[in-house]
Amino acid sequence: MKYIRVNKILSFCAIAALALSTSSCKKFLDVNDTPNNPLAVPPNVALPGAIVGSAFANNNELNRFGSVLIDVTASAAGSPARWDRYNTDGDDFGNQWRFEIYDGALVNYKKIIENEGKYQSPVYSGISKIMMAYTFGMATDCWGDIPYSDALKGNGATQPKLDTQKDIYLGSAGVQSLFDLVKDGMKDLDKKGLLIPKTDDVVYGGDIVKWKKAGNTLLLKLALQISLVEPAKAKAIIDEVLGSADSYIKNNNENLEVKFGASVGSRSPVYEYTRISSFRTDQLISTRFLNKLQLTNDPRLTAFITKPGANYVTVDNGFAGTVPGFDTRSQFGNYVTGVNGEGPVRLVSNWQRAFILAEAALRLGTAGDAQALYTEGITASMQSAGVSNTDIAAFLTANPTIATLSGNNEAKIKQIIDQKYISLVGNGFEQWTDWRRTGYPDLPAHQNAVGIDGTRPVRLQYITQEIQRNPNFKTGILPNVKVWWDVN
Amino acid sequence: MKKLLQSLFILLFVATSAMAQERTITGTVTSKEDKLPIPGVSVKVKGTKSGTVTGSNGKYSVQVPAGATELEFSYLGFEKLSKAITGSSVDVVLAPDSKVLTEVVVTALGIKRQASSLGYATQIVKGDEVAQKSDPNLLNTLQGKVTGVNITSSSGAPGSSTNINIRGVTSFNGNNQPLIVVDGIIFNNSVDNTQNTLFGSQPSGRLSDVDPESIATINVLKGPAASVLYGSRASAGVIVITTKDGSGMKGKTEVTFSSSLNLQNASYLPEFQNEYGQGTQNNFVENSTNSWGPKFGTMPTVTTSYGGVMPYQAYPNNIKDFYKQGSILQNSLNISGGDKDKNFVVNLGSTLQNGIIDRSKYQRHNVQVGGNTKLRNGIKLGGTITYVKSFTTNTIAGNGGSAFGQITRIPRSFDLSGGQYKNDIGNSIYFLPGQNHPKWSLENEYLDNRVDRVFGNTSISYDIADWINVAYRVTADVYQDDKNAINRLGAARNPGGLLGESGILRGEYNGDLLINMKKNNIFTEGLNASLLLGQNINQRTLRASEVVAEGLVIPGFDNVSNGTVFTNSSATRELRRLVGHYAQLSLDYKSYLFMELSGRADMSSTLPTNKNTYFYPSVAVSFVPTEVFDIKSDVLSYLKIRGNVARVGRDADPYLLNSVYVKSAYGNNTAAINFPMSIGGNSIPGFGASTRIGSLDLGPEFVTSYEGGFNVGLLKSRVSIDFTYFDTRSTNQIFNVAVSNSSGYDTRTTNIGEMRNRGIELQLNATPLKTSDFSWDVSMNFTRIRNKVLSIDEGVDNAPIAGNAFVGINPSIKVGYPYGVIISTANARTPNGELLVNGLTGAFAPGVPNSVVMSPQKDYTLGISNRFTYKGLTLSALFDINKGGQIYSFGQTDMRGGGQIAMTAKDRDQPRILPGVIANPDGSYRPNNIQVSAQTYWAGLGGLASEGAVFDATSYRLREVGLAYSLPAKLLTKTPFGQVSLGFSARNLWLFAPGFPQDPETNSSGAGNIQGVDFNGMPSTKNYGFNLKVTF
Repeated sequence: MKYIRVNKILSFCAIAALALSTSSCKKFLDVNDTPNNPLAVPPNVALPGAIVGSAFANNNELNRFGSVLIDVTASAAGSPARWDRYNTDGDDFGNQWRFEIYDGALVNYKKIIENEGKYQSPVYSGISKIMMAYTFGMATDCWGDIPYSDALKGNGATQPKLDTQKDIYLGSAGVQSLFDLVKDGMKDLDKKGLLIPKTDDVVYGGDIVKWKKAGNTLLLKLALQISLVEPAKAKAIIDEVLGSADSYIKNNNENLEVKFGASVGSRSPVYEYTRISSFRTDQLISTRFLNKLQLTNDPRLTAFITKPGANYVTVDNGFAGTVPGFDTRSQFGNYVTGVNGEGPVRLVSNWQRAFILAEAALRLGTAGDAQALYTEGITASMQSAGVSNTDIAAFLTANPTIATLSGNNEAKIKQIIDQKYISLVGNGFEQWTDWRRTGYPDLPAHQNAVGIDGTRPVRLQYITQEIQRNPNFKTGILPNVKVWWDVN
Repeated sequence: MKKLLQSLFILLFVATSAMAQERTITGTVTSKEDKLPIPGVSVKVKGTKSGTVTGSNGKYSVQVPAGATELEFSYLGFEKLSKAITGSSVDVVLAPDSKVLTEVVVTALGIKRQASSLGYATQIVKGDEVAQKSDPNLLNTLQGKVTGVNITSSSGAPGSSTNINIRGVTSFNGNNQPLIVVDGIIFNNSVDNTQNTLFGSQPSGRLSDVDPESIATINVLKGPAASVLYGSRASAGVIVITTKDGSGMKGKTEVTFSSSLNLQNASYLPEFQNEYGQGTQNNFVENSTNSWGPKFGTMPTVTTSYGGVMPYQAYPNNIKDFYKQGSILQNSLNISGGDKDKNFVVNLGSTLQNGIIDRSKYQRHNVQVGGNTKLRNGIKLGGTITYVKSFTTNTIAGNGGSAFGQITRIPRSFDLSGGQYKNDIGNSIYFLPGQNHPKWSLENEYLDNRVDRVFGNTSISYDIADWINVAYRVTADVYQDDKNAINRLGAARNPGGLLGESGILRGEYNGDLLINMKKNNIFTEGLNASLLLGQNINQRTLRASEVVAEGLVIPGFDNVSNGTVFTNSSATRELRRLVGHYAQLSLDYKSYLFMELSGRADMSSTLPTNKNTYFYPSVAVSFVPTEVFDIKSDVLSYLKIRGNVARVGRDADPYLLNSVYVKSAYGNNTAAINFPMSIGGNSIPGFGASTRIGSLDLGPEFVTSYEGGFNVGLLKSRVSIDFTYFDTRSTNQIFNVAVSNSSGYDTRTTNIGEMRNRGIELQLNATPLKTSDFSWDVSMNFTRIRNKVLSIDEGVDNAPIAGNAFVGINPSIKVGYPYGVIISTANARTPNGELLVNGLTGAFAPGVPNSVVMSPQKDYTLGISNRFTYKGLTLSALFDINKGGQIYSFGQTDMRGGGQIAMTAKDRDQPRILPGVIANPDGSYRPNNIQVSAQTYWAGLGGLASEGAVFDATSYRLREVGLAYSLPAKLLTKTPFGQVSLGFSARNLWLFAPGFPQDPETNSSGAGNIQGVDFNGMPSTKNYGFNLKVTF
């Protein structure tokens, strides 16, 4: 009797367990929705991450590379020491390509643009398109032909095809030009929408008028970039901008610059790298850049370069001896890093615009007085560095050969780029890119230079990992091969 | 143990037939060995089908027909015996059979099987082989003792994890550590890293929570056929641990106390030079990490910025004295009693370890209570519960900003151990700006770990009839792992300081229904069958949260409230469930032919709901010719041939199906941004698309295994050989395949690829000498495994293994190569393989990126243990060889390029020539004849991300030595002790590593899929000590 009861109880349990598990299994097993990550995010959350990605790419390794290559900084150790000797290869800039440019900034601009309808957020779309054009522009200026029209499609194209730099700038069948991308973005800014950026716009705090000016100024920059290979197109774009009701950046407070913060994890890359990280000892200011400023008594010197003691302490590029200790050497000044790392990272500036228009006036015959624009550029840069108008005037008076453009157009352009170069301190990418396009400023070879053939790199080599992953990339394009717009 | 087997086989071999009888014969069957009655012995009347079995008192009563002359007695583990019927009472004494036949093994799910019936390889390690071995880590004490298994400890850091792979790595991305089962409890052996493995401190694998002293047996189920019933997670093999219980105590209660004290020292440090000091190219440079400076004696003093004028001299012991002597004190108490039906056990254990560097520490305290009982109605109840509390402190390690990142860059003239390392306000004093004095790092950069863990099981089982048993078992394993990461203000990697306060709560719960049925003589005489039906409900949970405080403001205050920035704080939850149904049919034909058919169907929560069910089968056959043919002799005692084909499916990790968004972050250790950012007083949120593309139609991955082998017993089983060959294919791998980053993503999750593991396992046990007082036992374990990645994905030739890696040094899978090769920059070579040298500089020509430079795969491993017993004295030694395999070492590269190790001082003033050839303009080559300085030469052999960082990891090692003495029983008769033994044990006493100047058994990444990397970790140790064991 007892045995039977136990039997029954056990059998019942067994059957119950089986039955329970099969009938409610589906529900029991439906627990695979992640509580850890969102499946969608609104554009006001996606935009800051993307914009900061663009700025981070510009300001971290690309600036470190550009600055040392272009004689603003010199090296003591680490990657700057390789670059100082012109050595760069496909193991460099993997983080920029992979996690900052494509997978950080660009893909999220694309997501914001795709989600415009869902969130009724055309303004975000517009900003994203402008920033996307800036970022793709930076990428193609560095690497030449890159995935563009076929990029950012995820599973849709896991090995995107490349577009030529020419097609990226000018567009072709199925390829929207960077110019059109910017213009598209500016049109989006005009549309009404529900979601308007505020503090999440780490550039203008939601000021749409300024974004339009930024868009137009970016058009100027992109146009000048192709001015040697496509002068007619460049002129047409610049003319269009000069006639645009939306205007362009005309004040230092309209700069397309990304603000950073003062606390750890929020600080600008150049600050973190040169002041805080254990790699801060890898570089210092180049004697060449110091000399350039000291020669003219440039009033921006104290803002641009730190003075560790009684004197500025620098070394020459490629110097192989013992580099002065970290605490006793000159570094990027607070103008570049911000006092506590706030930056800003200046992507497109008012003085840069002035220099662009000055050069365009000479090179392309666009409207505007080159001399006036040139002086405006110097003045705006100095004002931005906290130099008083009196000191600016004194500087121009004391340096008549700088103050006045003279000689033929080429000589004048050289003068413009010389000053533009100084004003772009902290944006090594832009300085290097101007040098590649124009050949200015004149830069003597570094000591102990090696590189491919002893010459300064004129492009970034495709990163090896990307070549490995995408057979559309050609191998063997070394850093001494010029990009399309680089024809001098 | 044997009694346990017996009771099992009572159930297995109950004879049920009854026939016409004429008279009754009674008797008792006893064992020759212990003179005790044997229950369950089959008693058969020769020439008939009639028979019976002995009862629990060993007595039987059988009706025999007229004319019957003989009775046959047989019982597993004993030699068969025929005895003539003389009178009405026949008593017999059975002698134990040779050892090969008697062994009963615990297989999957605790099912006990006769060894000869198994169609697959398993290997048992007894408790005393892992207890008192001078190491509190169970896995370390298993090294060299099991075939098919690769065990690598990660460093000498106390409590650090140990990697174990059984029959190679079978999953591209999944967990390749075997499933651990302790007393039926699925036991979590996770390594929870809250820090980057390149830079963090070495955390424990949670198997370390098991006290080796509490273990009765360890059974290693190697292939899928052996482990298929455990389901999805068993594809990496299973380690079944059974702790001591009271079932074998035969009614008495015994108390065992064991204690050991071991000392440990940093061992196998490289040999340093003491002729040249800090500097480069023969010049003193005060912030140089090199020892390429002037020869000692050429200048009396040097001026430094950190210590003023200092003597310029060698500090020969500056590295050696950095380490101190560590100690391990282990005590355990085991109380067990009862009999096979009703028994109890209490285990108490305590381990206190102080490591070889200041502050490093490991402590473990465990309490286990368990028992079994059988109610009068026949229901059996059992359960056990264990509480473990452990505490670990370890310093952070890794390249650059850590004590161990610096210690390979200490110039020979730097007084590391004697000099001042901090100033009055506690800041580091060091020669290298941006870095800290290693002693400062030990004091201010470390990780504390506190784990509270409870695991236990409870089971109920009932024999519904003599042929069917139903059991249900519930197991749970829960632990809370609290970590405190301390990086005080001024830490090299976190100059603003960083405090991490994290809690990880993991739980695993299982419910298992098991229905066992068995029937003898079905269809035909001698064919016995048993059928198991089972169901498993599994739930695994994880709740982890971490507060990360940065931007510390108060020096020396280690509470997260000291922070000003908390953006790296996080919380993670995971829940996964699985329901499995399984069946196993075992057929036994006359104890010489066996077949086992198994199948399991799993439904997993981690796969898409519409295709979350997958089934996998296995079949195993074994045949014992010595039981059939008349070939058994004094030479050949036993022969078994076996084979199996098996498949195991494995589900995905949770939450892989969707593409998600993650908090935005940029940068690395040069500069980093973490959202939310704080800009101008505003907190700015930032989320972006995750770099991984999800897969909504992900399926399970499979491992299919073919295995064959034989067991031979020779010379009256004095020699036994166990040979296995296996071929395992891993297919449909769940992997995050790399995609072109210009697609906007880095990887996509999908099912791809194929990988093969082929291997030989050879186990040889012999007793070359045996007299009444003396015996010599040898056991040899040989393993050779060849792993090869056969394919990844269309157009994908290689892919990095998930985990932290340095840029340009990628542990990877690559088609045609073994799992885990490192892809980095190889030296340029001529088509003939000669090194190519730059004809202008005499340095190696620029390297070839994306090349396989290193493979961790060993040629073979061989463990040889010898055990000599003379009366109460036992001497044992385990020697092992790890042949082949490579190690990627930052430390050695640092010390070689920095001119610290001894060989760099030899003929330093003489110019050198790098080996290789120079290309001539006509395409031919000439030998390199360009002389370079010693510094250029040694540094020119290769830097961190180069082929020059790769070394041969071959090692010959005296891994264990033990000497134990058991006091003679007669000495103890008047004491309360039943048994007293004293011993000495040592680990790592001797090492020969021809290709590597240190101990090549190290792995900075700890347990996991990245192996063979030495990225500036802690050295290994030599341990030795004394043991005491007494029973009451």
